[in-house]
Amino acid sequence: MEKIEITLNINDNPYEVMIYPNDTLLDVLRDKLDLTGSKESCGEGVCGSCTVHMDGKPVRACLTLAMEAQGAKIKTVEGLANVDELSNLQQSFIDHGAVQCGFCTPGMLMSADALLRENPNPDEKAIRKALAGNICRCTGYAKIVQAVAHAAQPQDDCCDCKSKE
Amino acid sequence: MLLPGFDYLDPKNLEEALDLLAVHKEDAKVLAGGTDLLVRMKKGLLAPKVLISLKSLNELSYIKEEAGCIKIGARTPLADIIASGTVQDNARALSQACEKIGAITMQHYRGTIGGNILQDNRCHHYNQSDFHRSGHQACHKNGGKICYARENADRCNSTCQSDGSTALMALGAKLVLLSKGHERTVDLDKFYTADGIMPHDMESHELLKDIIIPINGARSAYRRLAYRSAIDYPIVCAGVLVRPSDSQKDRIDEARIVVGAMGRAPLFLAQASSSLKGKKLDDTDAFRKAADASMDSAATFAVHNVGSTLEYRCSMISPLVLQGLKEAASEK
Repeated sequence: MEKIEITLNINDNPYEVMIYPNDTLLDVLRDKLDLTGSKESCGEGVCGSCTVHMDGKPVRACLTLAMEAQGAKIKTVEGLANVDELSNLQQSFIDHGAVQCGFCTPGMLMSADALLRENPNPDEKAIRKALAGNICRCTGYAKIVQAVAHAAQPQDDCCDCKSKE
Repeated sequence: MLLPGFDYLDPKNLEEALDLLAVHKEDAKVLAGGTDLLVRMKKGLLAPKVLISLKSLNELSYIKEEAGCIKIGARTPLADIIASGTVQDNARALSQACEKIGAITMQHYRGTIGGNILQDNRCHHYNQSDFHRSGHQACHKNGGKICYARENADRCNSTCQSDGSTALMALGAKLVLLSKGHERTVDLDKFYTADGIMPHDMESHELLKDIIIPINGARSAYRRLAYRSAIDYPIVCAGVLVRPSDSQKDRIDEARIVVGAMGRAPLFLAQASSSLKGKKLDDTDAFRKAADASMDSAATFAVHNVGSTLEYRCSMISPLVLQGLKEAASEK
């Protein structure tokens, strides 16, 4: 196996990187580019903590070869916020206590972000369906669903939202 | 988890891909979405020397109506099939099955229909880490002579857990397989070898090109049982099709009942299916009898190797087939 030089377009920045053919996109993001927001948990496509966008669609970085990601527009959780301002979705996760240990959060955010781009006003069922491939062992999901619903359409009478305080 | 080493080849067109397959044969594996192949490689179940990627072969990604059939390219992502109007109208079982595969964020954009059909058979004694398997003698599928799923079995009893294949078999689909200078069409019914180790009747230098589903006014439905509604493989599933007679619109001319995740291949239950010929579309009693007959036939093939208890899986065949038949028959 020989190293190969490839160019990846991540969060609108081009990165030239030397990789082996068996490096997954997640290996390259975390180990070569220090973009450690995307997490590795199960490594076999079940948990969703490595979810990133490729051309706007959520995919598992742990089951995508870096070679296959060439030419695609990749977005990681690091690309969600503006320079010093969190996105509405990220802020809503904080306001609703949708983050506990935080390990699943990058994947949850990326899946939810893809949903909101496709369907800006999802009902609870659509949110739960979109997040069905992301596993969280802390929150029980209720707060995460509330956070996504609030990011889509802020409610004045939102019971748990801390943004009013 | 690390992947074993391999050479990555990225053919730019179909011809080039077939050339590469002809050269590398069993040393090579075809990489489409990777959601099944890469998991098996990570677990050390497979270490191909070469991966031939279909990334640049956009010519294998299409859904079109042609000569009274739906043709679906093997590399078509599951999301495209779910969104397709013609599949929803003429092959609803496939649409329903694709929706159940994996989870939206997991397989629907990367996972392909070809990959779903050609996924390897599974068994909870085999689909484990290297470390887990190192504690036992090798089973048939792992190169040994033991089956942990069925005592004294002389061959592998791994289970085909493909949602797509079960639905497609009910729909009477055919597969088009290409190799260098050769093309053959095979009925999905006859595509399986009844061997758990190499479940598909396909040579290593062949490539699945497309799937052909006849459009003939038939109505279909797909039902499955799994631990979780997303991410999981089915532990039992059923694809059914009923085609009303041309002369008498309220009578069934042809029925196909296929039960999946119960054997080495999806099981087409000919006897239970033919018992519905000539029956009325609202004859629930006949549906119930056919569903019970399906359960009796399919249960004889099953072994306890994909989770839950065998009794539960077997007893769920009948309700799934019955639900499917009722839904298909009432489809407008």
